[in-house]
Amino acid sequence: MAKVLPRSLPVPARLSSRRTDRAERPVPLARRLLLAHPGRLARSISGIAFAILLMMVELGFRDGFIDSMLLPIRALDADVVLLSDGKYQFDRPAPLSRRFLYEAEAVSGVASVRPLYAARTGALWKNPQDRRRFIVQVFAFDPDAPVFALPAVTANLAALRLPDTVLVDRRARDFLGTAENGTRTELAGRRVRVASTFSLGPDFFTDGTVLMGDRTFLTFFAATAAGEAAPPGPVAPVPGLADVEAGIVKAAPGRSPEALRRALRAALPKGVDVLTKPQLLAREAAFHASVSPVGPVFGAGTLVGFVVGMLIAYQTLFSDVSDQLPQYATMKAMGYASPRLAAVVLRQAALYAAVAYGPAWILCALLFRLVSDVALMPVQMSLSLTLITAALTLAMCLAAALVALRRLFSADPAELFR
Amino acid sequence: MTPSVLVERVNHHFGAGESRNQVLFDNSFEVAPGEFVVMTGPSGSGKTTLLSLIGALRSVQDGLVEVLGRSLAGLPAAELVAMRRNIGFIFQMHNLFDALTAYENVKMAMQLGGCPRSEMAERGHRMLERVGLGERADYRPRALSGGQRQRVAVARALVNRPRLVLADEPTAALDKESSGIVVGLLKDLAVEDRCTIMMVTHDSRIVRIADRIITLVDGVVTSNVALREALVICEFLKSIELFHGLSAVEITHLAERMTKRRYAKGEVVVRQGDPGDEFFLVGAGRAAAYVAHPGEAESQAALFSSGDFFGEVALMGGGVRNATVRALENLETYVLGRGDFRAALDLNAAFNDQIIRAYFQRH
Repeated sequence: MAKVLPRSLPVPARLSSRRTDRAERPVPLARRLLLAHPGRLARSISGIAFAILLMMVELGFRDGFIDSMLLPIRALDADVVLLSDGKYQFDRPAPLSRRFLYEAEAVSGVASVRPLYAARTGALWKNPQDRRRFIVQVFAFDPDAPVFALPAVTANLAALRLPDTVLVDRRARDFLGTAENGTRTELAGRRVRVASTFSLGPDFFTDGTVLMGDRTFLTFFAATAAGEAAPPGPVAPVPGLADVEAGIVKAAPGRSPEALRRALRAALPKGVDVLTKPQLLAREAAFHASVSPVGPVFGAGTLVGFVVGMLIAYQTLFSDVSDQLPQYATMKAMGYASPRLAAVVLRQAALYAAVAYGPAWILCALLFRLVSDVALMPVQMSLSLTLITAALTLAMCLAAALVALRRLFSADPAELFR
Repeated sequence: MTPSVLVERVNHHFGAGESRNQVLFDNSFEVAPGEFVVMTGPSGSGKTTLLSLIGALRSVQDGLVEVLGRSLAGLPAAELVAMRRNIGFIFQMHNLFDALTAYENVKMAMQLGGCPRSEMAERGHRMLERVGLGERADYRPRALSGGQRQRVAVARALVNRPRLVLADEPTAALDKESSGIVVGLLKDLAVEDRCTIMMVTHDSRIVRIADRIITLVDGVVTSNVALREALVICEFLKSIELFHGLSAVEITHLAERMTKRRYAKGEVVVRQGDPGDEFFLVGAGRAAAYVAHPGEAESQAALFSSGDFFGEVALMGGGVRNATVRALENLETYVLGRGDFRAALDLNAAFNDQIIRAYFQRH
């Protein structure tokens, strides 16, 4: 029989100190198992990262969609907004009688109530370069009572007092053509002159926005709104604008928007919705996120990404656990309780999530930059999107791990004695 | 002394209903601390089931299994898990984590054993040095030979200094040299730390160093022999002229029929005039025979020490004891009943190996 080595051997000092350092921490089993097979790790990470990317893109596009729909509201210089109670979505026409604006003006704490007009039907814009026509979104207001807090608009209020003069969104889609100061083209079948441009951006339904004075608007669209063709010729008087799209209310100095909203609510009849600007933004976002078909579609896409990622993570973890089943059974035999071993698998799942998240985030950020430049969509890797997708990724991997744990629990240490 | 393992009237079944199948039948034995026990028997004889019951890997269904002084019957799963932390397990396959180094695999066991973190490194490396792998502590299992991996598994099983080690064919996949190292280490542990080793094996080389061999056939312990003791008895029997004609197999059968009996100093072993129905072989200690004649004081007639025997005269002649035998110090004897003694006489061979083989091949 071979001789057994002596019980005690001197430990070299160098080795000894290294040992002491290393012994301070528990064995990082989950991390070691993760890194044991680099090839398989790369494949697993790719799969999980793809699923994360899918979720990020879906959620990012959803956020971008909603953000784009909120652009005009964000641009409003409003503390409180008055709307028809039939206006379930900001860009859907639902006229509000101007008399409610007068009633609102009488409420204490109101600094001003200004009308906002809007038109989409019949708002055909002729591309100044190729003469093709496209529908645009038109907002109008009294240049002496501006409603937009856009510097380029404020700087050109005087021009809007001129008939047939408009301001054009320079972030409109390319196919609307290029417009600048002095450009002449047609809107709603009438000749218009572009006085200047401003920056807003398109949304999912609108390719571009045109701003004009209320007098011009009356000339172009008042009759159209009544179902008739807009009369050509001289500008009609402004008082003909009996209906507005929204009333933009500014609070008197020192008056909180919420307090003003409550006061207006109490003063105005039921047919008027009274919302602070943040409330309107929230309502609009909620509508698009859950009521309009677009939000649920992106939600379904996110769910698909989650499920795909969970399946990939499950497959990966199941294989990992299966490969180590005799080892786990041995650990159980030695006295490791199942929850302690389950924690190894859960930690492994969390590591998969962490490792896969980074590449997915970078890829998605690049993709969003590309989409933002090409499609003019306000998509970006925002902090909220980062946090939400990180939480979803972790939940996805942990859920997969919880399912894969059944395999771990099936490891029977008694089976090791064969 | 509390035995390390006590098994009493243990039955065990697998399955339920019509497919219920009994695999262990009314088995009883005990193992003393520090014993190196080999369990052997044909495949399917129930030895691994018995080992898994002792290792708290299965719940005891019927009978008593006491390990390290604690009964396992009725223990909830969590306590069975806790109980297993007192036991070292070595399996046929090393079952090391390939992703961990040899030292880390050993450390996985230390993390359970209540070893202070500051001592882990020292203890773990010393254990690896003890199995001859001190220089390979940082190697992954994939970089080690089969024998080295199994030695890491042994180090993992022993690092917490368990009082009981259960091993299932630990040398089955090893070459002769590795097997020798592994078994030698286990034997050293049994001797030095009074650790009890129970090993299932078919390796006849290991049987040589066992203290006890337990043989199971069809779920029944058919033989439970304290091998060292049996060898000593056989040596003694072989030297007795009465049994010169017996073969090694017959001697082992005879030795197996002898029961150990201890006497305290001054205690009477046999009394003059009593019926003579037992044969005594002195294992350890000393005794003296005294003859009393009517009207005279008792006088010492003979002195017995290790290897001597007495009681044969009355058995052969069918009479009564012709002397009183008293223990002069603590005495250990092996006793053979009349029937077996007569049978041995009626029956009228490099000795150790034959006896060992005879024990081992009994199944």
